[in-house]
Amino acid sequence: MLLEVRDLRVEFHTRDGVAKAVDGVSYGVDAGETLAVLGESGSGKSVTAQAVMGILDVPPGRITGGEVVFRGRDLLKLKEDERRKVRGAEMAMIFQDALSSLNPVLSVGDQLAEMFTVHRGMSRRDARARAVELMDRVRIPAARERAGQYPHQFSGGMRQRIMIAMALALEPALIIADEPTTALDVTVQAQVMELLAELRRELGMGLILITHDLGVVADVADRIAVMYAGRIVESAPVHDVYKAPAHPYTRGLLDSVPRLDLKGRELRAIKGLPPNLTRVPPGCAFHPRCPLARDVCRTDEPPLYEVSATRGSACHFWRECLDD
Amino acid sequence: MPEQHYEPEPALAGAAAGGAVDLDVVEARTPERRPQGPDGSGPRGKPRSLWSDAWRDLRRNPVFLVSALVILFLVLISLWPSAITSGSPLTCDLSKAQEGSRAGHPFGFDGQGCDVYTRTVYGARTSVAVGVLATLGVAVLGSVLGALAGFLGGAWDSVLSRVTDVFFAIPVVLGGLVLLSVVTSDTVWPVIGFIVLLGWPQISRIARSAVITARQNDYVQAARALGASRSRLVLRHIAPNAVAPVIVVATIALGTYIALEATLSYLGVGLKPPSVSWGIDISAASPYIRNAPHALLWPSGALAVTVLAFIMLGDAVRDALDPKLR
Amino acid sequence: MTEPVLEVSGLVKHYPLTRGVVFRKQVGAVRAVDGVDFTLGRGETLGIVGESGCGKSTVAKMLVNLERPTAGSIRYKGEDITRLSGRALKAVRRNIQMVFQDPYTSLNPRMTVGDIIGEPYEIHPEAAPKGDRRRRVRELLDVVGLDPEYANRYPHQFSGGQRQRIGIARGLALRPEVIVADEPVSALDVSVQAQVVNLMDRLQSEFGLAYVFIAHDLSIVRHLSDRVGVMYLGRIVETGTDTEIYEHPTHPYTQALLSAVPVPDPRARERRERIILGGDVPSPTDVPSGCRFRTRCWKARERCALEAPALAVPAWFEASGGPAAHDSACHFAEAVPVGRSAPEQVVPVEGHGNGPG
Repeated sequence: MLLEVRDLRVEFHTRDGVAKAVDGVSYGVDAGETLAVLGESGSGKSVTAQAVMGILDVPPGRITGGEVVFRGRDLLKLKEDERRKVRGAEMAMIFQDALSSLNPVLSVGDQLAEMFTVHRGMSRRDARARAVELMDRVRIPAARERAGQYPHQFSGGMRQRIMIAMALALEPALIIADEPTTALDVTVQAQVMELLAELRRELGMGLILITHDLGVVADVADRIAVMYAGRIVESAPVHDVYKAPAHPYTRGLLDSVPRLDLKGRELRAIKGLPPNLTRVPPGCAFHPRCPLARDVCRTDEPPLYEVSATRGSACHFWRECLDD
Repeated sequence: MPEQHYEPEPALAGAAAGGAVDLDVVEARTPERRPQGPDGSGPRGKPRSLWSDAWRDLRRNPVFLVSALVILFLVLISLWPSAITSGSPLTCDLSKAQEGSRAGHPFGFDGQGCDVYTRTVYGARTSVAVGVLATLGVAVLGSVLGALAGFLGGAWDSVLSRVTDVFFAIPVVLGGLVLLSVVTSDTVWPVIGFIVLLGWPQISRIARSAVITARQNDYVQAARALGASRSRLVLRHIAPNAVAPVIVVATIALGTYIALEATLSYLGVGLKPPSVSWGIDISAASPYIRNAPHALLWPSGALAVTVLAFIMLGDAVRDALDPKLR
Repeated sequence: MTEPVLEVSGLVKHYPLTRGVVFRKQVGAVRAVDGVDFTLGRGETLGIVGESGCGKSTVAKMLVNLERPTAGSIRYKGEDITRLSGRALKAVRRNIQMVFQDPYTSLNPRMTVGDIIGEPYEIHPEAAPKGDRRRRVRELLDVVGLDPEYANRYPHQFSGGQRQRIGIARGLALRPEVIVADEPVSALDVSVQAQVVNLMDRLQSEFGLAYVFIAHDLSIVRHLSDRVGVMYLGRIVETGTDTEIYEHPTHPYTQALLSAVPVPDPRARERRERIILGGDVPSPTDVPSGCRFRTRCWKARERCALEAPALAVPAWFEASGGPAAHDSACHFAEAVPVGRSAPEQVVPVEGHGNGPG
């Protein structure tokens, strides 16, 4: 395993009490593999990634338990300056909002070159040449001329490519992409996802893709971890999940998106709303919205049951859900 | 009725907010301040508005409580100064000039032999009057002009904004020295008029941008699409949402206007004797600072506390009305 | 199609680009909407899809008279509403209402939910007698699936999905015939989107509403729409019934758009072939000559630069009939079944494609 997160817990202190944003999350990703972390807002999918990356805002956040084992070391035990060396060089992150992630007063070429001068100690000239090479690699046309331009002179899709180029610059072993295409139009999203998949293949990196888009997941992921209210409710190879989900929440999500290829069925919406994290319902957090819920769900928190060797579901009635 | 859900509000906006674009922003912020009843009351509890929310915040804020008490005290003594002093600020006895404190005259006497305590108490009246009236004038003139510029836009906006710039360019003290030196009236009105004349651009700018921000909100568009009249748009939708920043800036400005009045009076162009003002007293006492420091200290201290109280009040109100501004 | 309630023809909106502060001079124009025609039948849903900047939101604003068109007409039951003002405009507004995208900015935070939903009655007092308004507001809350007891709460106490329901209730208050919905679910969570889509579906049959449903999400548009128009850079490039557009697209842009939508089914991964468009949408200040899609089109030839294709049924399909015979603004319109469409192509990016925006 390239990265293994074990029983990670993150809390936020708020006026309303303690919010368990991440409540015992475990997942792993291999080199060359794409893991999709699927969830709605408030599910804890981004907070988990921030904790893994070591960019969680502390306070208000606090890591209260768990391990993040990356290439054999527990990152949570490293000192901040050792941690910083891992960031960027060994694992990199791509954000949703490329415009605010780029420095508006530096040309994109300079920003890319900085990665090489700072981390690799290259001369400015060499770094600049590498920057242009990178822009070429993420298929930015006329890279040499455009390296001198500023972020606002690029379109949304092109900016996201520059973000990808920055993430790739030091050839990390793992990339975490947090909603990388959510702000983009479909045709541009297709370009960017295609590029990411291609580069991942070429460089043999691991990729964690954080998203709420079931379509994107089906397109690129090998494995899925579905998150709800700070916990993983289902974890499985992508084909299994779409064929027959083993958790009612996953099923609900799949049923509630309209499909381009299946017209006319009424959308089976999940009733209700995701819970407030300071007041997660006892037992299974999903029970107030779940069609399968019974008494045991209100009292006993389901563990991640083993459905098969590669698959887990945190539902007491996963068998029923599978057969459904 | 299909798919209704009346649960005891499992999640308020916090957890369920967001969506495609601001998904993880919201997620990251989930644990922060979120609209939820103070006691976790669901939607069936008491309705709350921005003002009641703000009031709840303010009541718990010691800065607010202290400054509000000071201001309340100032307002009371300027309305009824005779409640705490029996003397008259204009009854002076030269023979007691520069004498220190004694029974019945806790602050001693100034260079003219007037009771410093009585004069300081009566000075509050001037300061509060100038501060409140000037702020009212500035707020009314500034918000009307600023709101007009923001709401009408186009050429109106260009012209009004240029006029604002012109007034902004006038140095306050220099302007006061020039303009007020030709006035002979011994009332507070020339000073108030002067402060309004130079103060309105500050509020006007705030009001303009607040109106522009409010105007762009979808709910204003929604009301327009319903066919709402202009006056309804302004009174019901734009003004209530633009008024908060104006109130905040005006409260802070009130303190600075009091200081400005004292400055102008000190320089001899603001209020003139026989008016009673802290500025006049400070000016009169400063030559005798060695012999009678108390005559300088008390009015200066009162001025400092008053200005500070208003600025702190403004700060507290701003924090309560808009936590994002912090 | 049933009798039309809205007929839009030659709709144009240009925003002048000016320089100078006091003495403005025009240096160009943003051609946000540049000649749009469509009709909307009674009780029908017309979906308008397109990517950001294609002008679909501007069309929505003109339909509800928030923007005045630069040219063209919008006829409501035969009457051109773009020329109306004063009382006549107000009367028309009762019948065409809008639902906004952002449930966080579309409700006045200083008003209670009851006041927000009741405001239409204050603006149009003739729509409901004063004593009856409270009851109607409660009824509307019930209709959109909210507890009528919520009427005296403030918007910030609700979640995004609930707020969108409030916005819909406000839109329904005057019993309009047409509702223009501009991306009504795109700001909501996936599981909440479905609730709102189902609600809109139910309200349509309950109140006989006609929808103009504007969105960038092709799947949701298909789910709700009877007919669909695809917009690109200020124009509709293809329009037809949902089957015609989604299963027999003939315009290359529609084909590329459809092929780019990820299908939530990993088995589709192997089968499907994607058309990946190169470059970006050109800036609406600098629209390409001839066909506006030609800078990104793999079929583009010389003719495309010289001659703008009209939105009409291509002659070669007209004779044969069938689902391919629908309006398509392409000189080389071609029917290709979706999924096995044109071979994977990456279109070289040149010229117009590089501009910002």
